[in-house]
Amino acid sequence: MSSILKLENLKVRFSTHRGQLEAVRGVDLDVQAGTSIGIVGESGSGKTVMSRAAMGLLTGSNVTREGRVTFDGKVLSDMSREEVRNEFGTGMAMIFQDPMTALNPVRRIGSQLQESLRIRLGMSRKEAKARSIELLTLVRIPEPKQMLRKFPSQLSGGMRQRIMIAIAISCNPKLLFADEPTTALDVTVQAQILELLTDLRQKLNMTMVLVTHDLGVVAGNTDYVAVMYAGEIVEQAPTAELFANMKMPYTEALFKSIPNIQMKAGSRLPVIEGRLPDPTDRPPGCGFAARCNYAQDKCFTDHPELEKAKDGHLYRCWFPLGDSIQRKVS
Amino acid sequence: MRKLWSTFNLPTKISVVWVALVFFFVLTGSFLPLPDPTEFDPDASGVGLFSSGHLLGTDINGYDLLSNVINGARISILIALVSVGVGGLIGSAIGIGSAYVRGKVDLVVNLFFNILLSIPNLVLGLALVAILATSVDPSIPIDPNRRVFIIIFSLTVVIIPILGRIARGATLSWVNREFIVAARSMGMKDRHIIFKHIVPNVLPAIYAVIFLAIGVVIVAEGALSLLGVGIIDGVSWGAMIGRVAGDFTYAPQSMYVPVIVLALTVIAFNQIGDHLRSQLDSREGKI
Repeated sequence: MSSILKLENLKVRFSTHRGQLEAVRGVDLDVQAGTSIGIVGESGSGKTVMSRAAMGLLTGSNVTREGRVTFDGKVLSDMSREEVRNEFGTGMAMIFQDPMTALNPVRRIGSQLQESLRIRLGMSRKEAKARSIELLTLVRIPEPKQMLRKFPSQLSGGMRQRIMIAIAISCNPKLLFADEPTTALDVTVQAQILELLTDLRQKLNMTMVLVTHDLGVVAGNTDYVAVMYAGEIVEQAPTAELFANMKMPYTEALFKSIPNIQMKAGSRLPVIEGRLPDPTDRPPGCGFAARCNYAQDKCFTDHPELEKAKDGHLYRCWFPLGDSIQRKVS
Repeated sequence: MRKLWSTFNLPTKISVVWVALVFFFVLTGSFLPLPDPTEFDPDASGVGLFSSGHLLGTDINGYDLLSNVINGARISILIALVSVGVGGLIGSAIGIGSAYVRGKVDLVVNLFFNILLSIPNLVLGLALVAILATSVDPSIPIDPNRRVFIIIFSLTVVIIPILGRIARGATLSWVNREFIVAARSMGMKDRHIIFKHIVPNVLPAIYAVIFLAIGVVIVAEGALSLLGVGIIDGVSWGAMIGRVAGDFTYAPQSMYVPVIVLALTVIAFNQIGDHLRSQLDSREGKI
């Protein structure tokens, strides 16, 4: 297996009127070709910013990106905008969170689907049309021919997300970022879309980075999981190992906050108390310390480094779960 | 077309018919069997409405008002369409471009628009015409065609910031939408994104304002003539108003006729523009 995407010390900062906002604070990630990796974390943990920064889609004048991004042997972070653009679509592509806003409302599905085929792959009008019907069939849209003439406003959320997927895979990308592809959809459609993504990934031999806040989504659809918190990766492991052997209290808290069918009706949903630290003013210790059930004095003063455990398991915690160190539960 | 017509309410239908009538006279005015607008009738000076041979009467010098108002439509509408067309094109291009690139360029462009907009339309137009249309030697009057060109140019400058700001504002509201990022993530070039993704979304807002701008320009042309710097030696609605300003009490119809025609035309354009804007608002709501 070879590495297809490698992030080294990736940092993203936004300058805001309140000062420097560090959204991603030194992320290292190595994605192996052909695998599927899940990036999990709550809202505001930096997962979307990280995936967009990895692709180079953050272009605002108030954004600074540091660190090295290597894609398929090419160092993206050293390339010009035009060179990076040549990798878009054919090398890597992205599925966006909200299918309601990710399609141009005034253009027909057909023309939006065909523009990348015609411009990036240089297909003729006829070829592009034939290919777009193929793509729509691939994402399991009934009556693909009629679909080409429709406008986004005529479609349901699930249908639009299928169109987005069809656009994203239209140029056969090697790497597919799926940025919360199912968050805006209802649960039944979620399952269909996830199944479709997994199926397509195997069919087209794509690598997938699946960004989500839902551990349940990650469980069945990924080989590796990286948990993000406050702009850092706090735990990373093969999916099965992570679920079997959680080290980081944050991961455990995330896991516990998944609602369970056995819970008594009317009981309060479990939540992680507190909120993310202010991204413009990070505390010196562990970012999760203030919300952690097991926090000790050290957690508030010293920033933990990423530790290695066996089986490729990484974690960022002074007092990992399942350790022999006696913990006082506060 | 029939579908479009059925969405109009009654005032809009009347406005469309009126504007169509004006355009009909713009195209056919010079071929209609009417008295020469530049020749006066010595036997009928200042006759009222419905006089024989002069349906809308004549002014104090015996110029036929119907013929003048019909032939004057040509130059008034020409000035309005050209200055709004050119000004709209330049303004939209600057507005869309600056909103797309953002940063310092946008800051400067916005400042420039705001400065121009802070000067009242008429004052700006008047100043430009007064400066540009002065001939070096006062004894040689400036060439009439050149004068028309200068008026068009000045009114174009008036229109640029009006439409520029609308285009800029509309672009700013679209440029950060997810589908723009999505298009970028598929490797689309900026030019493609601007023309295929932004322009189609911004156009409706521009259409609506274009009609309002045409009204503004027609009024401005009339006002310039009234102040004595507009068309003085040709035939236009503004020129008619300017020429008879002093004879108003002797032959009131010579003032009423061009003013009413001009006012109706402006109201019609405004009504159409307003209607388009309300259509646009309800369409935005659906998206």
